[in-house]
Amino acid sequence: MLFDEMNKNDQLIIGDKTFSSRLFTGTGKFNDQKTMVAALKASQSELVTMALKRVDMQHRDDDILAPLIKNGMNLLPNTSGARNAKEAVFAAELAREALQTNWVKLEIHPDPKYLLPDPIETLKAAEMLANKGFVVLPYVHADPVLCKHLEAAGCAAVMPLGAPIGSNKGIKTGDFLEIIIEQANIPVIVDAGLGSPSHAAFAMEMGADAVLVNTAIAVAGNPVAMSEAFARAVQAGRQGYLAGLGGQSSQAIASSPLTAFLEASL
Amino acid sequence: MKIQINEQVVELAENTNIEQLLAHLNKPLMGSAVAVNQDIISRSHWADTILNEGDNISLFQVIAGG
Repeated sequence: MLFDEMNKNDQLIIGDKTFSSRLFTGTGKFNDQKTMVAALKASQSELVTMALKRVDMQHRDDDILAPLIKNGMNLLPNTSGARNAKEAVFAAELAREALQTNWVKLEIHPDPKYLLPDPIETLKAAEMLANKGFVVLPYVHADPVLCKHLEAAGCAAVMPLGAPIGSNKGIKTGDFLEIIIEQANIPVIVDAGLGSPSHAAFAMEMGADAVLVNTAIAVAGNPVAMSEAFARAVQAGRQGYLAGLGGQSSQAIASSPLTAFLEASL
Repeated sequence: MKIQINEQVVELAENTNIEQLLAHLNKPLMGSAVAVNQDIISRSHWADTILNEGDNISLFQVIAGG
């Protein structure tokens, strides 16, 4: 396939890692561990997110780590639960010990209703974490100015949202994502809100470097099939972007010749 | 000796280190993070960090998340 040929020279580099797949996935909200592992494998994702929590001494949690490591996935711990920069730095340092990685998805969203990221605390935390040698991928609103600040702070990528986390609403921030993509010198990963494969394809056609999908796969009727659908959509969207989309016009532009060849016969 | 782990009092043998604590609690090393009296202890020091009476341990674990 032509795609395979194009794809060979089209790898995504973030920090010290190179990715063939531009679909990143989350591990949350799956009904069971077996489905999660099968879905993540079907996604061909090479980077999967995880969270951290204080251990409940009364209960033993499933070991979800072993199957992910066994399947060669890179693990991206997040700082979910942190309400400010100080807590996020503490969470990132814990995650570094827990997973032996200096990669971190920085997320600070104190408001539980919309889970919108706090830009001020996120920028503060990003500066501190970058200075401590972390590979920082901050989850942010689709704010082009903030994204440039985060780039200057030393972030390895930015992760602007399409819509609120878990909302499945798709790309509601498209015009601003376009500006972010145009201006960024670091990879742009569209995160949050992507509810269907077409949303992911749309983000990739816009020129996003990757997308992160969790809820839409985890809560699908068939998460494994949905995972594969997302993988294909991301590839199709990427190929569409690389192929060079045709321009838009408000008037029709004929695709067939408008000669008057029928007139003589009537 | 008595220490606190995530707000629960636990009785431990003297001279227990962090690695031994995790084994005692049947917790995996990979995926766990430990703070002693609010200081995060890096994994390379788990074997040589000896716990003391009254220490306040915070124990964290990776879980599924997006």
